[in-house]
Amino acid sequence: MEYRQLRPIYDALEGSDPQRALKECDKLLRKHPNHPSARAIKAYVLTQTGRTEEALALSLSVLETPTAMASAHAQQGLTLAFRALGRPHEEIMVYTAALAHTPNDETLHCKVFKAAARNRMFKEQHQAAVQLNKLFDNPKYIWWLVVSLLLQARDSPKNAAAQVQLKLAERLVEKAVADGNLKSVEELRVYLDVLDVQDKREQMVEVMDVNGQLAALIANDPDLVTQRIELLIKTQAYGKAVEAAIAALKARDNWADYKLYIEAVIASVDPAAAGASVSTICAHLEAWAADRDRARSAKLAQVALATRMFESGFGDAAGLPELLIWGFIDQFQEKAICYTDIMQFIIAHHKAAGKYDAQAAVIDYHWAQLEKRMPAARESAGQSDGEAQAWVNLEKVRYLMQALRGETDPSVWLADIEVLLNFGLTSKPARKKQPACSDMTLLACQRIIQAAFLAHGATSARAQLHSALFKALCVLESGIRLNEGNFMLKLYAIRLYLYLSCYERARAIYDSLSIKHVQQETLGHMILGHGMMLGCFAADMELCYDGVAFYDRFRSKMPRDIESVYDQETYSNIQDFIEFQRNLDCSVQHECTHRYALRGEGFEYGSAKEMVARWEEADTRSIEHTEESLGALHDNRDISVMGLLTPKELAQWDLELLTRPVPMPGHEWIQAFSLVPQIMHHMVCAEIELLQIKSSELAAIVDKHDNALPRSDLILIRGIIDMVALYIQATDQQHAVDVQLDKLVEDVFEDYFEDTWSDLNKKDLLK
Amino acid sequence: MSTIRRFRAMDMLRFNNVNLDRYTETYDLGFYLKYMASWPALFTVAEAPSGSLMGYNMGKVEGKGELWHGHVTALTVAPDCRRLGLARGLMRGLEDASEKIHDCYFVDLFVRPSNAVAVQMYERLGYILYRQVIDYYLGDGVMPTEYAYDMRKALPRDVSKKSVVPLTHPVNVEDTFF
Repeated sequence: MEYRQLRPIYDALEGSDPQRALKECDKLLRKHPNHPSARAIKAYVLTQTGRTEEALALSLSVLETPTAMASAHAQQGLTLAFRALGRPHEEIMVYTAALAHTPNDETLHCKVFKAAARNRMFKEQHQAAVQLNKLFDNPKYIWWLVVSLLLQARDSPKNAAAQVQLKLAERLVEKAVADGNLKSVEELRVYLDVLDVQDKREQMVEVMDVNGQLAALIANDPDLVTQRIELLIKTQAYGKAVEAAIAALKARDNWADYKLYIEAVIASVDPAAAGASVSTICAHLEAWAADRDRARSAKLAQVALATRMFESGFGDAAGLPELLIWGFIDQFQEKAICYTDIMQFIIAHHKAAGKYDAQAAVIDYHWAQLEKRMPAARESAGQSDGEAQAWVNLEKVRYLMQALRGETDPSVWLADIEVLLNFGLTSKPARKKQPACSDMTLLACQRIIQAAFLAHGATSARAQLHSALFKALCVLESGIRLNEGNFMLKLYAIRLYLYLSCYERARAIYDSLSIKHVQQETLGHMILGHGMMLGCFAADMELCYDGVAFYDRFRSKMPRDIESVYDQETYSNIQDFIEFQRNLDCSVQHECTHRYALRGEGFEYGSAKEMVARWEEADTRSIEHTEESLGALHDNRDISVMGLLTPKELAQWDLELLTRPVPMPGHEWIQAFSLVPQIMHHMVCAEIELLQIKSSELAAIVDKHDNALPRSDLILIRGIIDMVALYIQATDQQHAVDVQLDKLVEDVFEDYFEDTWSDLNKKDLLK
Repeated sequence: MSTIRRFRAMDMLRFNNVNLDRYTETYDLGFYLKYMASWPALFTVAEAPSGSLMGYNMGKVEGKGELWHGHVTALTVAPDCRRLGLARGLMRGLEDASEKIHDCYFVDLFVRPSNAVAVQMYERLGYILYRQVIDYYLGDGVMPTEYAYDMRKALPRDVSKKSVVPLTHPVNVEDTFF
């Protein structure tokens, strides 16, 4: 009967027609003014039409109706309303009120739990889990309770209750084990987490060393195998760690296990006989290196071991790092990944050599090796893609060496550039579109860009710099034409086009990369905001809205994904999902996207009246920031994707840094563009005191951090500060004029009405 | 060589060097999160010694009875990490998990016949062409509309290898749902 009454409303909602749904709600309520389900669903529909204040008032009123929650329709309507309004406490109150009618409804108890879990209300989640365990005999709820206790303790680790919660969680798990209720690897991971948070590492090892079912779970989970080795190292059981690592490496080729093996060995090295101490691992690595399927990992592990021994002061106990580095390069240079593999060890070795004042000697050694190999590599590059790749890798090492020795002569960077360009763009392999040619083109561009900044990086030489970068762009475009699929060429092209203020082409290349969804968080910074700086507002606003929509979708859907972890009982995901949610909720790019959108809308072309109305209506409370909230923002912008060949510390050779068209928006920018909308709002609302405060804050940011803000943004901000100063001055003057006028009128009345009017009339007139 | 481990949500903030490749699709966040939440052991990533991501494999389990199987939803490797045996390593991980954790009868996947390199790789890993699926792949501006090869590999539970007896006729997309 109730469903039949509500059917037209549901049909309208299913047809995505909230206006019609609202009409149907009102129609029903005219006949039955106190229909709880209609009221509840109307509250939800009001949220869909943007009438949030009405929705909230109605929702709270329905919640206060004792009998309303007896209806499932009312429950659903109201929970949806509170969810849309972002009121999780009230959502839980709906379920609690419903439970008053059906106290043993397991589904409702689960809904309470999941509502709390979705919203990271750990205390309420815990309480709901306790109820579930008390009322229902389902082993799953034990784990829900354990996870709730763990989350609560992790959320407030310094809280005195945290220790009690963890002890309770541990006892619950031990009981579950004793009762045979620990059956899955997910439950095992929860057990280990509970112990890990309490730093009970030895106990974790004991748990992982038991026989029987648990052992089988661990053996089938590679991550747990690695975790066990890690634990053995942390508990200083180096001998067992070594044994476990060897056993793991015999079963599979896994870099994480190699690293731990090396760590365990180095931790147990006898300083008096370092060579002998590492002989077993060296023998193992040698044996594994002879196996073609695992040669690359074993060889790199040899390099890693030698480098670590050298760093730790054990000299060449595991071999000379530089010899092993070149041994690795010689064997694997035909693989595109060779340079990425070996780069960190070349840098680490060079850095460690600093202790012995031997950095120059290390570079000389590497340089000599390059000179020995380069001619032959260039000669044979045309024979196959592998040979070409070998040359590319050597050229990358050459690039690194030049940076490490601090080469600032642009001509050195451009030496042999024609050779690289010919191979990359016009050679026979290039015409066959061999991937290595595309890599060579990129490398040549990187050299041109590097040389350009070294030669013309000073602000007085902008024209020459731009001219040089334009040449790099020509090379990039040729490379892209030959290999449309090489995204690195495109990323550099986007950067350079923006550097040269060419938004349209930069945007076209960006669009060709089909960047979407989570990539808006990590790669959106490459283009977002640059359009506005160059006068292309509409194009930039389009991207802003895509970005805002992504964050809104994420915010509404992520809680469901957290909930599903409990349904699927894959508890190891919880902490990871929560961390991810926090990261995206409070991220630098998220804040920047919203500010760009607000700025674009606020300063959109239109009449003055429209602009004033926009600023008057703008909700600026939600974008206020404190030092603390700024400090809590996560920066997920991906800059490593540009494939740098040099370590980050060498700023002068950091192409990602050099090619930034403007300083990347950081805390100062976010704070400045949080203040700008607030200032505009206070100005149109004539809130002078607040205006003065915010304007001073903005001026302080500009004074302190003007080199952290893009020039065009600085011009806008300074303009706003000047405008505020003028406005305040005019207001003060207006105030002074008003006061004078009031005084004048009073004097006139006083003189004029003294004889002819009574006090009462005078007061009325003065009003 | 790499570290092969479970894919984590935070990895989505680091996979651009894999996903910017034009043949790799970037899905909605919910798609990845669903796979992590439902089948974590079948969603693995390969991480290089340098810390960058090299590739990943997304899988699930589905079917009933003797059709209970592991399915490879997506397998992708960064352009500069190809021809290292990485796909082989990721596939082995998925097969192991399908066999030892989920107790499946077989593993299957769909692949474009025009992707000869991939087809050869799967054949070398022991996959056979089980059936062809008509117009499984629809044109998207980058790739044309194409049939799919449905390739299968039997796992130890399928003792009589029933799951890998090929069909003689192609099927429609609807016939592939479980």
